[in-house]
Amino acid sequence: MRVIRKKKKQHIFLQFFLWVYAFISLYPLIWMVFYSLKNNDEIFVTNPYGFPVHFRIENYITAWSRYNVPVYFFNSLLVAVVTVIGTITLAVMFSYAVARMRWKLKDTARIYVMIGMFIPVQVIMIPLAILVRDFGLTNTYFALFIPYIAFNLAFSTAIFYGFFRTIPFELEESGCIDGASIYKTFFSIILPIVKPAIATVVIFIFLSSWNEFTMALILISKESLKTLPLGLLFFQGEFTTDWGAMGAAMTIASVPTILIYMLFSEQVENALTVGASVKG
Amino acid sequence: MEKYLRDRTAIAVFILPTLLLFTIVVFNPILQTFYRSMFEWDGLSEAQFIFFDNFTRLFQDRLFYDSMYNGLLFAAVLVVLQIGIGTFLVLAVTDSAIKYRKFLRISYFIPVVLSITVACQLWLSVYNGEYGLLNKFFETLGISYRQDWLNSEKGAIFAIAVVNAWQYMGYHFAILLAAVKSIPEQYFEAARIDGAGKVRAHLSITLPLLVEAYRFCFVLAITGGLNAFANMFIMTGGGPGTATYTLTYMMYRSAFRVNEFGYGCASATMLVVQCLIATIIINKLFGRESVTY
Repeated sequence: MRVIRKKKKQHIFLQFFLWVYAFISLYPLIWMVFYSLKNNDEIFVTNPYGFPVHFRIENYITAWSRYNVPVYFFNSLLVAVVTVIGTITLAVMFSYAVARMRWKLKDTARIYVMIGMFIPVQVIMIPLAILVRDFGLTNTYFALFIPYIAFNLAFSTAIFYGFFRTIPFELEESGCIDGASIYKTFFSIILPIVKPAIATVVIFIFLSSWNEFTMALILISKESLKTLPLGLLFFQGEFTTDWGAMGAAMTIASVPTILIYMLFSEQVENALTVGASVKG
Repeated sequence: MEKYLRDRTAIAVFILPTLLLFTIVVFNPILQTFYRSMFEWDGLSEAQFIFFDNFTRLFQDRLFYDSMYNGLLFAAVLVVLQIGIGTFLVLAVTDSAIKYRKFLRISYFIPVVLSITVACQLWLSVYNGEYGLLNKFFETLGISYRQDWLNSEKGAIFAIAVVNAWQYMGYHFAILLAAVKSIPEQYFEAARIDGAGKVRAHLSITLPLLVEAYRFCFVLAITGGLNAFANMFIMTGGGPGTATYTLTYMMYRSAFRVNEFGYGCASATMLVVQCLIATIIINKLFGRESVTY
């Protein structure tokens, strides 16, 4: 009897803790969405915590039309899409050659590129900024495309390499016997098989380049090229008097990633934490 | 088949773009950072070789020690909050009787997918001295605890670290949860048959089997703390005064505010050294051998 009661107590305590933390984790976000629908008077005085009484959609209209939110949004999308396509194209080719083809230095080449996973971007920030300047790329989209692709190569290569090691060699043999060229085999036989790994990498790269802050801060200063994380930063000054519009802009910036997470929650968790097993 | 997989042109076509890009944009800059740390250089004019003078200056710079101390504090807060809370939540959520498990998981992980700017701006409003959620909350409770969180010399670094801990706790949670799930069910059954209670079973089975996951979480939290930059850049600009400087922040200021590229590279080099030492210590403590089932 006593054991059961003790268990019950333990159970209630655990439940309580789980829900309290869920509240801490979620409430600031809910609060943000709420205040994006209120005016200053409601946020500061009449209704700071609760559900908005009048839905002040005009905050969203202000954020979208009067400030540069659409530009930032477009830039984030463009940069994320180009980074995804560029990284995957290069990484699939490279890891194929390293995992399946036969040449002397393939392990050296693989390990060399994987060093990239252990380099924090902060360490190379200064030479990178100078490199971008010397190539004349400052304040062009390429100032983001190229570093983002280069930085994502290590991780993507590791994932694809792991995947290529698991598929049987008979696949190429069939292509070989049919007389197809290695390129043809690669595109028509290998690529379709590697799809599940591509999905993981797409999610990972899309989220990380959509949210990337530090490199963008160093490499971009032109207003028309700013991505959302950078653009929202400078809202601070302009919007301090208008919390509602600021909340609206932040909500707009978060919708795509939260939506992706809601739709593919398990894949997203896997994609983001797979680094744990790759690096370990 | 042999000839097919040894096709040299194909190999070159497949590997050269990646090797070239990686070498130019990632690997070469690492070497540049080390090399340039021995120059006095404003990024434009002729660089002057001064050997280890930047490092001598760094070791005499009070800000260097303050920055390092802040990095360590930041890392400590992340370890305690992210790994501590993460562990507890994972153990609690794997308890078979918990309802709405999926909802709980999602609510822990959502902040991870936010942009760091959004998280920081959001917490700027939470911490706001006049209208912030936190002060309002204390007001409602009737406790006179109102204060300007980010303007306190001592407290600001903790306030910022909490934001990072809040945002990325879910990441550690997901890593640990995946590791717990990979433990075969028989282990727990065996413990149950032996009469071990839940707490006992976790202490003697679950936690020891999570060594690999913990090793990764610690490396992540500690190097993340030492590297911290975006959080303070957005929330305090290193202030009040220099109270929330970290090594990365110092490097950023040297290079991009006062044009001392060489000195900035020296800070970056020290950052690498620190992260390396931290990683080596963690690997020693956790042992390199991995558990296989």
